[in-house]
Amino acid sequence: MFYYQLKGELWKLFGKKRTYIGFTMLLLAQMLIIGLLRYYPPAHRGLMRNIQESGFVGEQYVSMLTVASVMAFVLAYTLLPLYVALVGGDMVSKESEDGTLRMILSRPVSRVRLLLLKWIAGVIFSIVLVAALAAGGLLFSGLTFPVTGGLFTQLPDDQNIGTTNLSIFLFRDGLERFLLAHLMMVSKAVAIYSMAFMFSCFNMKPAAAAILALSAILIDRILMEIPYFHDLKEYFLGYHLNIWQTFFYENIWWWRVGESMSILIGLSLTFLIIGISVFQVRDIKS
Amino acid sequence: MISLQNVRKIFGGRPAVENLDLEVKSGEIFGLLGHNGAGKSTAIGMMLGQVWPTSGEIRICGHDVTAQRQHALKKVGAIFESPVFYDYLSGWRNLEILSHYTAPTPAKRIREVIEWVGLTGREKSKVRTYSHGMRARLALAQALLPQPELLILDEPSDGLDPEGIHEMRLTILRLHKEFGLTILLSSHLLNEVEQLCTRIAVLNQGKKVFDGTVAEATRKQNWQRLRTGDFTAATNLLRSARLINEVRDGQFITLSDGVGSEQVVRLLVERGMPVYEIAPQEETLESFYLTLMKPRAN
Repeated sequence: MFYYQLKGELWKLFGKKRTYIGFTMLLLAQMLIIGLLRYYPPAHRGLMRNIQESGFVGEQYVSMLTVASVMAFVLAYTLLPLYVALVGGDMVSKESEDGTLRMILSRPVSRVRLLLLKWIAGVIFSIVLVAALAAGGLLFSGLTFPVTGGLFTQLPDDQNIGTTNLSIFLFRDGLERFLLAHLMMVSKAVAIYSMAFMFSCFNMKPAAAAILALSAILIDRILMEIPYFHDLKEYFLGYHLNIWQTFFYENIWWWRVGESMSILIGLSLTFLIIGISVFQVRDIKS
Repeated sequence: MISLQNVRKIFGGRPAVENLDLEVKSGEIFGLLGHNGAGKSTAIGMMLGQVWPTSGEIRICGHDVTAQRQHALKKVGAIFESPVFYDYLSGWRNLEILSHYTAPTPAKRIREVIEWVGLTGREKSKVRTYSHGMRARLALAQALLPQPELLILDEPSDGLDPEGIHEMRLTILRLHKEFGLTILLSSHLLNEVEQLCTRIAVLNQGKKVFDGTVAEATRKQNWQRLRTGDFTAATNLLRSARLINEVRDGQFITLSDGVGSEQVVRLLVERGMPVYEIAPQEETLESFYLTLMKPRAN
């Protein structure tokens, strides 16, 4: 029965056009970035110069993997949180606002089970969105840049954990790192989605739930950027949300991956439990 | 089938339902009446476990809704005012999704119900293309899918045209007759309630002000239409002689217990007042309902 109910939730989620706004805009953004990097000479030269100034051969590293990684860094900070928060904010609030929740809750399904189904459906959406980000990145950059070239990454300073923030990998190793990073990016997407989901369990509009979650992420990021709080960086959510970047360092700090993953999984489950608790005591009215 | 005992619900310090006792027996069509905000939807919400009662006990099909919601709602179907669906999905998909919250439902059963409500041929169309009447039928279909024994209808005719209201009324009667369903009907349409229901309860500002059969309601006050030369002078005289209790609309009186209309006529004629007509006035549910609402409104 759980399978049929989950299938129903997925029909609801993937049956509406607004769910695809995220996919469409991600792919459009990727095409735009690739188009500019490929056909706007100053951008192309800039990328080449960046690699050469780091002491590597530009032609070897201006590749599918490098361009796909550039896009991943940009989009994982911007559009990805936006779309998972929008979907998370919609999950319960939208049904409550539309009145369909009343129809569901006239049936013998427990509120806990209903929210679990919805949350799982949203987790599946987050996984698919990250997969689309990775697949779209590889596909579009593969069409315009050399496929088998190596991977060059320049990591943001806040991720510097003692090693150089420039990394290079040969194609095979680079592809592995790229895919592992996206696998870990799922934990970021799920954590942000879960936060928006939690807010949507309160009696509020879907947009308010998404805005609250995004505001929390932004405030966290702003605090993290202030140099005086640098010592506290491990206490900021953003530090753990960007664990996926670790896979672009030459040495993978597995203990950090484990630590951040545990924190993100714990937080996601905490958001879910808070959401369920709030929803459990709520009166559902027309 | 439905039992509410001393149920209260308070929203933000304001009582929405107060000490409500209600019994709906198996096989009845029970009407729940009341103005907007009287507490009907809150009461229905509590019966379905959507609104938690502040105190009191609610039992549906013998199960406590608060403690055993899943068991209580196993054989319950519900329709709400202005039915809403997932507009971007087909009618069929909507039924599939909603029915699976009760139990996995075979396609054969969905087809049967679609045929019963008369939606065959349109079940694969998106709900956004449905008329209001078709949505009402789809709402009925989703309520019937779990083969309910109890149907809770909250303003099912809301937004329907006269033809749709008539059709809905016939459908409710058909459901009652063919499947022997117990039906709780909340409605503003007193005419509809009068024609359908065997028993009614009237809520006013969260309190139950009447509970009984429709026949009892329409017999509740024995109004007599009195046509005389001077109605005010005549009623003053009749009051002082303690022959009448109440007066309304410049033409209606109620007789005191044990008083016959011949005594009224005799007194008025003896005092030289012409009596053109005195005849029992049949009470409609509407006039009964309005009488119930009046004292509190004042």
